[in-house]
Amino acid sequence: MALDVFAPWDNPDAKPLIQFKNVTKRFGDFTAIDDLTVDIFESEFFALLGPSGCGKTTMMRMLAGFETPTEGTIRLAGEDIAPIPPNKRAVNMMFQSYALFPHLTIWDNIAFGLKRDRMPKGEIEARVDEMLRLTRMEQFAKRKPHQVSGGQRQRVALARSLAKAPKLLLLDEPLGALDKKLRQETQFELMDIQEKTGTTFVIVTHDQEEAMTVASRVAVMDHGKIVQVSTPDAIYETPNSTYVADFIGDVNLIQGKADPKGDKIYIAWAEGQPEIVGTPMSDFSHGQDVHFAIRPEKVSISADKPEGAANAIKGKVLDIAYLGNISTYHVELPGGQVIKAQTANNRRISRRSFTWEDDVWLSFTDTAGVLLER
Amino acid sequence: MRRFTLIAIPYAWLLALFLVPFLIVFKISLSDLAMAIPPYTPNLDLSTGWAGFKDFLSQLDFENFIWLTQDDLYWKAYLSSAKIAAISTILTIIVGFPIAYGMARAPEEWRATLLMLVILPFWTSFLIRVYSWMGILSQEGYLNQFLMSIGVISEPLIILNTNIAVYIGIVYTYLPFMILPIYAALEKLDESLLEAAEDLGCSRMSAFWLITVPLSKQGVIAGSFLVFIPTLGEFVIPSLLGGSKTLMIGKVLWEEFFSNRDWPVASAVAVVLLLILIIPIILFQRNEQKQREAEG
Amino acid sequence: MNKTLVTLTASVALCAMAASAEEVRVYNWSDYIDEDLLTKFEEETGIKLIYDVFDSNDVLETKMLAGNSGYDVVVPSGTFLQRQISAGAFQKLDEAQLSNKGNMWGVIEDRTAKYDPDNAYSINYMWGTTGIGVNLAKVQEALGEDAPITSLDLVFNPENMEKLADCGVHFLDAADEIIPAVLAYLGEEPDSHDTDVIAKAEAVLAGVSPYVQKFHSSEYINGLANGDICVAIGWSGDILQARDRAAEAENGVEIAYNAPSEGALMWFDQMAIPVDAPNAEAAHKFLNFIMDAENMAAASNYVYYANGNEASQPMLEEDVIGDPAIYPDAATLENLYTTSPYPPKTQRIVTRMWTKIKSGI
Repeated sequence: MALDVFAPWDNPDAKPLIQFKNVTKRFGDFTAIDDLTVDIFESEFFALLGPSGCGKTTMMRMLAGFETPTEGTIRLAGEDIAPIPPNKRAVNMMFQSYALFPHLTIWDNIAFGLKRDRMPKGEIEARVDEMLRLTRMEQFAKRKPHQVSGGQRQRVALARSLAKAPKLLLLDEPLGALDKKLRQETQFELMDIQEKTGTTFVIVTHDQEEAMTVASRVAVMDHGKIVQVSTPDAIYETPNSTYVADFIGDVNLIQGKADPKGDKIYIAWAEGQPEIVGTPMSDFSHGQDVHFAIRPEKVSISADKPEGAANAIKGKVLDIAYLGNISTYHVELPGGQVIKAQTANNRRISRRSFTWEDDVWLSFTDTAGVLLER
Repeated sequence: MRRFTLIAIPYAWLLALFLVPFLIVFKISLSDLAMAIPPYTPNLDLSTGWAGFKDFLSQLDFENFIWLTQDDLYWKAYLSSAKIAAISTILTIIVGFPIAYGMARAPEEWRATLLMLVILPFWTSFLIRVYSWMGILSQEGYLNQFLMSIGVISEPLIILNTNIAVYIGIVYTYLPFMILPIYAALEKLDESLLEAAEDLGCSRMSAFWLITVPLSKQGVIAGSFLVFIPTLGEFVIPSLLGGSKTLMIGKVLWEEFFSNRDWPVASAVAVVLLLILIIPIILFQRNEQKQREAEG
Repeated sequence: MNKTLVTLTASVALCAMAASAEEVRVYNWSDYIDEDLLTKFEEETGIKLIYDVFDSNDVLETKMLAGNSGYDVVVPSGTFLQRQISAGAFQKLDEAQLSNKGNMWGVIEDRTAKYDPDNAYSINYMWGTTGIGVNLAKVQEALGEDAPITSLDLVFNPENMEKLADCGVHFLDAADEIIPAVLAYLGEEPDSHDTDVIAKAEAVLAGVSPYVQKFHSSEYINGLANGDICVAIGWSGDILQARDRAAEAENGVEIAYNAPSEGALMWFDQMAIPVDAPNAEAAHKFLNFIMDAENMAAASNYVYYANGNEASQPMLEEDVIGDPAIYPDAATLENLYTTSPYPPKTQRIVTRMWTKIKSGI
């Protein structure tokens, strides 16, 4: 598990490959990137995640050289890349639309960048063949892009952008055009290729699952700013804001007032309801607004009040979403708030304990949720 | 039945407006000159029945086509027309491509207006537009007056009644037929292809030659046919703007018809012209089909 | 040929409409009538007059031979008339409907009988000569004070033509008028149909054609008047119109017309009624209207062509009847020649030769 020990961002001596320093990009009145600073390290698989319009594509286009920052500097291996035109950068991009040249064969598409470098013919052939092998496209070399499937086109685009062995590969929504099953397969393929080539990948995506799967680190973006940069598990388990918690996966958010008692915090969230007990990561003062975020799979559901649970709330089953392997119960609390609870369907559906309108108890430990200031 | 009707309509159209007139012209081309109304013989008289029809057929011959091979005027005129049409087509590409390129790269909200401007001249009669070129190009015309007033030339240039005027007229008239297909090809061109080319090491210029030009090839080919085919048989522009040395098959055809009053030979010239035109038309069709297949 | 195209287009539309009894359709040469006469005819007869123009006998003849032109009155020139009569294109005139026939001038009728025996199919509208129009100042500048402006030497001698080329020379685009002129210049019989004799004309024309800016049958009117060209072989009345337009414009251009001293072609434009005229009765009314002395005089006074109407002569203005370029004196009249149509085989040789002269091929 080489990936586990790979954490240059925790090493203060590691030199980042890419440094964004106070980068701002404006288009007229619109600020696409707002005073952004981030480091990306060599051999990282770095994901820029966010809704459309959050600035992730602009960041990528600045790396490729199609946009220049309005303020601030971007360094690649220590060198300011602002004055370097796209065709002179050791950066290649895989376009969302793949941008395969329709008039060239797949072989010629992959060889395109190599030919521009005036590489000797023999070397070009060897390199193209290597890329075709890497992406398992050997038998399609002579075809035109429109003669292969969408998934194959995606692989050609990847092969073409990798052919020049760039220091940095940018992937703009690389799997967006594929159907779900193919997308999942391809995600693993991408990771595999990234590991084999050791190239630094920066991927732009709006699909949190994809980002979580492939990336060594994920940057969650909103309105031109990075809200949180961290490893996928940290982003999921310890989001630093309701925005991140809500963006990544499913979450229940309960708002209330903090009441610190010892190392626990009690949250008063509704009249006549027991306070929720949670474990804070930071300090809260008495009466401070607090958002309690808890993932549905961390909420247990039972017919009777569970003994010894730190938190137990009574509610009524409003809806059941059956997803095959799991079911999500939408439980309405007396105050009208709906909480989602997830259970694994390890028993046959006929043996299921609850149905609509049943009264149930929701319970969770005092470390299951996170407490967020905003 | 409905399906049959749907297919029958275009075929009936073709039959009535293309095949039947062609057969009439072809029949005249096999006839002999006569001083009568109409000025050729034999005429088909259906009242004489089958025997009359056989007699009619027996009088037709290919004499007029043989005549065309005996005088170098005709093949020289065909050749000269082809040359003028080819040069005009190339000139039209040279002028039309940058215009189409500029239109396709213009901000999207301008494009409709620019397209309109290209089509706008069609709202005026073709003849009037060609006439106005006579006013511009003549020795006392606006162009010479302008050039002389700014001191570029001291003697008026003789442009009108030369081949240069013919080229100007043809390029002017047929330019939209070149611009529109190239524009259509360039507009479809995905901007990200050019970015991809740059990303892979192309300069702007080489991206243009390696991506834009090959991908607009279909448009250029379509435009070339749309210009070449009608120019080959063009009559109005060379007779208005050209001089007596501008030899084009359209003028020869006119002369056969009007000066010699030899409808049979004129028809033979027309039939041969059509056969010559059919070659590029078939090529054009093939090209279109190839393009459709390529787009899958 | 330019006006031809416009008229062709117009007449296609025209043919599509059916002629009604109250209409008469006249197809005449361009710039060839006082338009007030057209209104006058409509007022006098109540018949709607539709007036179209052409500028080439060839176009007219093609329409006549194709049949169903839709016209009631057309105006072919002598040789064309003759050929079209033999093709059966015209109907005999009904003299009972032509009360003004007595106004016609015997001198002209004798000559037109060459094309239309007994003048059974046509009446003379205008007649004239084919000669040389010059821009005096420019020609004298090129050739000196004693430039031979009354001689065909001006246009058929390559030495002169070389000097004139820069100021612009137009020839009529009509082989059957230029070739007889060359033959007259060479001292041959102008109306020769002998292809060997015609070949002599080809040699002369080949020598001067490089200096001819354009062979065209109507552009020279404006060309001369504007000063765009300095010499034209053209029709008398057209050149005189150019002279007057230049005078009106006061642009300093002075145009002169001369029937060449070697002899000039005398031509006749004849009004005739197509055999398939939709409204022959109205056509006769129109012919009779034209033969009215007063109307004919108005037409001549307007277009500067001589007419074949003797009764109109007292009403002609002095600058028409008194101008020897329009009404030549008896001696000149003797010097004028007429031509007859080429047989088809000769016609083809002439046309081919003409194409070769014009284009060099």
